[in-house]
Amino acid sequence: MTEIQRRNRAILRLLAALAAVPAVGGSSAASAEDAGPIRIGLIYTKQGPGAAIGEYLQRGSALAVEQAGGKVLGRPIELVWLDEPNPQVSQQNMQRLIDENKVVAVVGGNYSSSALAMMSVANREKIPLILTGAAAREITGKDCSRYTFRTQATVPVQIAGLMPYVSQLGKKIYFITPSYAFGQDILRSARSQLPSIAATEAGVDEVPVNTADYSSYILKIRQAKPDAVIGGLVGGDFSNFLKQWNEMGMKGKVPYAAVAVTDTDFWDVGPQASTGIFIKPWYYDNPQNTAAEKKMTEDFAKKYGQPPSDKTWSGWIGMRALLESIEAAKSTKAQDIVTALEKWKNAEGKFPFYFREWDHQMVRPAVIVQVKAQISDKWNYFDFLKNTSDTLADTEKAFGTKEEIGCSMPAL
Amino acid sequence: MLDILVSQVANGLVLGFVYVLIAVGLSITFGLLGVINFAHGAFFALGAYFAWQMYHWFGWSAVVLAPPLVGLVGMVVEATIIRRLYGKEPLLSLIVTFALALLIEALIRLVWGADGKPFNPPPVLAGIVEFGPLLITKYRVAVLGATVATLLGLWAFLAWTPYGRILRAGSRDPEMVALLGINLSRVLTAVFGLGCALAAIAGVLAAPLWTVSPSMSANAVMPAFVVVAIGGLGSFLGAVVAGLAVGVVTSVTIQFWPEAAAASMYALMFAIMLLRPRGLFGERWERFE
Repeated sequence: MTEIQRRNRAILRLLAALAAVPAVGGSSAASAEDAGPIRIGLIYTKQGPGAAIGEYLQRGSALAVEQAGGKVLGRPIELVWLDEPNPQVSQQNMQRLIDENKVVAVVGGNYSSSALAMMSVANREKIPLILTGAAAREITGKDCSRYTFRTQATVPVQIAGLMPYVSQLGKKIYFITPSYAFGQDILRSARSQLPSIAATEAGVDEVPVNTADYSSYILKIRQAKPDAVIGGLVGGDFSNFLKQWNEMGMKGKVPYAAVAVTDTDFWDVGPQASTGIFIKPWYYDNPQNTAAEKKMTEDFAKKYGQPPSDKTWSGWIGMRALLESIEAAKSTKAQDIVTALEKWKNAEGKFPFYFREWDHQMVRPAVIVQVKAQISDKWNYFDFLKNTSDTLADTEKAFGTKEEIGCSMPAL
Repeated sequence: MLDILVSQVANGLVLGFVYVLIAVGLSITFGLLGVINFAHGAFFALGAYFAWQMYHWFGWSAVVLAPPLVGLVGMVVEATIIRRLYGKEPLLSLIVTFALALLIEALIRLVWGADGKPFNPPPVLAGIVEFGPLLITKYRVAVLGATVATLLGLWAFLAWTPYGRILRAGSRDPEMVALLGINLSRVLTAVFGLGCALAAIAGVLAAPLWTVSPSMSANAVMPAFVVVAIGGLGSFLGAVVAGLAVGVVTSVTIQFWPEAAAASMYALMFAIMLLRPRGLFGERWERFE
């Protein structure tokens, strides 16, 4: 053997030894993890206009962990919370939670665009992901994934719940929606349902995210003279709109209706500027809330001195579903958790709700609320009108058939 | 169609005045100190929060205390952090003030919470005024008046008072001013405080229009930079002309091509930068050459 051959063999041996190190380290880390805490990732917004929403989602998830005694499978739960500032960073944070924090599952994703980006990582890395806010239809539709579950009702379901109320307001409808996946879904869904209420389109504005001044849009709406406006603006953008809608004398003149709003949108602007009919996943002052939801409301109020927002509920139910599924699976293996989530069911209410096995959409009615004529409580802005559906059969029907949804669920 | 156009142009001019007020403080800080203050939007937000707090403690009249208080905060920041950036690379001031912006936003969130604060125009300014096709709210008329008064006062101060002359001279030739026995260090502290107080005035005036939340600075800082870049760094007149142009272009774009509204001000900046890289009224400044 020549000197060169000997040296090459030595280099190869060294490379082989180096390559073996992560495998050895990985297996020892895995065995240490079996006895240590179970880490669960959270991806909720920490900065920018969505920070308040992120905080309520995180508090809801943390409360579910507290209510479970901080443990699952007898092991302590460790929550790791990373930011959801935009799709790109949300996707990177999803990867970080998996690679660096070794989480067994992730709960989070308030924005449809971020959720779609996070889903690709969850699918590739085979890690369960429960989305607690995103509403765009493709998440459980054509882009559905075996590892992704979603709690929020889809846009078409919410629009279908809203339309009967819109039909009572008039026949000329103006749309003002955010210019990304969620807003485009609102437009598609509402336009397709306009003929069913014999209404026509008075105008459309797709508004860029993070718009501060809506006065020019409001002037356009005023010029179009619609009977009602259907909106879908989110977070700080919606709060800015409501404030200027009131400032420009439109409150009380043209009714406003929207889907997927959250309590903080209204708490941020106050009673003076709040107006409209809305679809929300949940409301703390709904007389039909279950005992567990009332207990969550109580625990939250005790801890933070105020009622929870619907986002708190979303973070809470997402985490509850995950923890109960881990317990049912008696395992932290991704495939076992996914199988248990597919069988998870909550039977605390009038009729059960669950993640539908063939698209992983939570099948549960949303609530329809209207801003009170007189708001006297700092937090209680809405009158509960009704649920989007009142029976299990109607709810299942509202969420669409396999053919309508278009999800081809891949194998585990 | 003409009615619609006139209405949107008028609305854009009013919006433009808000942009002018936000941008002029940034322009002055750069023009007189040579510091690109990325934290300008954070002082804008601080102004809105101080106004909200003053209103809740003492009522509407106390809101006027917000800008001087923010100015004082700015002077402390200048004395402890900003003065170390003088004469250094502009990139360094950008990085340090960016960190400062994040710090102030985090402090706002810590003190006042992540939720927004309800804050509406005072009852006396509620309602709208209509002149033919024009619709404007009484509050926006008041904003217009307050902005014009602030800008005129600032111009008179810089152009006609001895203190203003020292500021302008110090910005062009600090060594000569120091040789004349003037304590330039104090002058520079006051200039930074003035820039922050102007951001705060904009924050106070915008608070009843925009949501008062920790992230509201993001809505202010980018238009401010665009206005300053279009108008020319350090140019007072440039900030005024560019602010109004940005307001009008944004409003008209919303009318005819709403999807492009956010991009319209950047398109305007791009066009101006191509034609005149120094901005509309940007001058050659020896110290920046």
